[in-house]
Amino acid sequence: MEREGEKQMAKEQIFEDLANAVVNRDAGLAKNTAELALAEGVDPVEAINEGLVRGMNAVGERFAARQVYLPQVLASSRSLYAGLDVLLPAIPTDRLTGAKKAGTVVVEGDVHDIGKNILRTLLTASGYVVTDLGKDVPSDEVAEKVREESLDVLCVSTIMSPTMERMPEIIDLLKENGARSHVTVTIGGPPTSHSFAERIGADHRDDNAQDAVDWLRSVQ
Amino acid sequence: MTELTPYERAVNTIFNEKVDELAAYPIACGVLRKLLPGTVTYREWASDPEVCARAFVEGYNTYRFPFTVALVDLSLTASDLGAHVRMDTENTPFVDKPVINDLEDYERIQAPDVHQGRVGKMLKMNEILARELREKSFTISFLEGPLLTLSQSAGAERLFMDMYDDPSAVHRALSEITTMCVDGANAVGETGMQALCWDYLWANYSCLGDSEYAEFEADKYAKACNEATVKAGLGFGIHNCADLPHLDTQIRKFKPQVYSLAYYPLVPDSLSAAEVIDRGYADDCAVFGNIDPQLFVRGTREQIAQATASVTQEVKTALCRRGLNSHFGIASGCEVPPDFETKLENIQAVMDTVHEHGRFQ
Repeated sequence: MEREGEKQMAKEQIFEDLANAVVNRDAGLAKNTAELALAEGVDPVEAINEGLVRGMNAVGERFAARQVYLPQVLASSRSLYAGLDVLLPAIPTDRLTGAKKAGTVVVEGDVHDIGKNILRTLLTASGYVVTDLGKDVPSDEVAEKVREESLDVLCVSTIMSPTMERMPEIIDLLKENGARSHVTVTIGGPPTSHSFAERIGADHRDDNAQDAVDWLRSVQ
Repeated sequence: MTELTPYERAVNTIFNEKVDELAAYPIACGVLRKLLPGTVTYREWASDPEVCARAFVEGYNTYRFPFTVALVDLSLTASDLGAHVRMDTENTPFVDKPVINDLEDYERIQAPDVHQGRVGKMLKMNEILARELREKSFTISFLEGPLLTLSQSAGAERLFMDMYDDPSAVHRALSEITTMCVDGANAVGETGMQALCWDYLWANYSCLGDSEYAEFEADKYAKACNEATVKAGLGFGIHNCADLPHLDTQIRKFKPQVYSLAYYPLVPDSLSAAEVIDRGYADDCAVFGNIDPQLFVRGTREQIAQATASVTQEVKTALCRRGLNSHFGIASGCEVPPDFETKLENIQAVMDTVHEHGRFQ
């Protein structure tokens, strides 16, 4: 009984260390603690959710409250991925089947991907299996990838005005290949607006990554 | 009050003197190529100083702009540092291959001769503009500030990570880039342009806090650029179209004569024109904003006229409340989108609406 209690305490400490590694932007600690978790027989899914994700959520909340800024968020996301790189391969494939699949992309003609990368991190921290389609990606490749991978969510961004028209193009191609009916499309980037999202037939538009993730959580 | 010329209106606005009507200036730059005969592509406009200048001059001839802000795009300085700029036929040029790909690359950055390369072309364009628009339109040159230049040269994500990993390398590159920017300010001073507007985009609470911005631009690098601008005999302006600009630093501390900003109504804490005036930011600086730039592409003439009338009335009321004469101009919050689809009649609609609703008795 006492030994069980000690084991539980050790597990709690591992979760705490994983969360702190993300919050304190310590990629080395995240990697080492993730390895320790596996060595101690901790369930990798539990370690991700109770440790890394909890830490990243705290960072996301602080970012939304402007208590931390992009450099800190990016450093935290690096720690998150350092832990995930260890823990994700240890999850049996059949346990991932229920997870929602999301794709993130910056449209063709635009290479500004910092917002997209923040969103990818926060989506991952929210339990989505994320495929990053990259930046400057032709619309037909985006639509094909959504169909091939049966993505549940597609997040499309651009920061430039001339490339905004790639967004309706992607949506039209999704309609053509039959994927639109089962994928939620959310858009972002400074030149976009709610009325633009409505006009092109996107499901949603947001100002920042945390709000976009919160919206997705609320509708899925 | 007797009718002022556009130039007189600009000067009076900068000095908060009485004006016949509010100064209106949609930041129309690349889109003005559409006024030139034949089909001028964005690439041609951005690459040829004479074509570029001709479009700005034609913009003045068509709309009688009190100000001419000679913005080309935000990749001039990065291009001259060695970053590869992609120039699509009808898209704003942008960096597609950064020149900084690892920490050692920061050390390799060398300030180039600003009279060569894309900044050199901009200087040639500025010389033509200054000559052609002398005392017709208040001419403002435009350059990327040090941190924006570095983010364009390295990619923003890499730069922000490296601020953590090796700030000394980042500072080394920023010092060198600041040398380039100061050289740029001196060179602009020789073109005959009347002012220089710096784009200090990263002073944005969505990206950097006060301490990061102070360390990586404000205290040392922007300070050097600002001082060089004044020393070169130029009026000093700042453009920041970010959603949450550091106004206390950029207006109260830097003390520019002209500041141009955007308004994001859906972003909490983004300031409307009236709030900017009410909080005193226009007391000692001519502020410009903040019509939604997307209205120029997607709005009807009626919609943009309505939005312009609304902000014009808001500004007149707020200026009166604050006891100011003219220290706020009606502008687009950011560049009028240079898309081929942008409606030139919407630029005219803004000018007509301010003429109608922005008059003072």
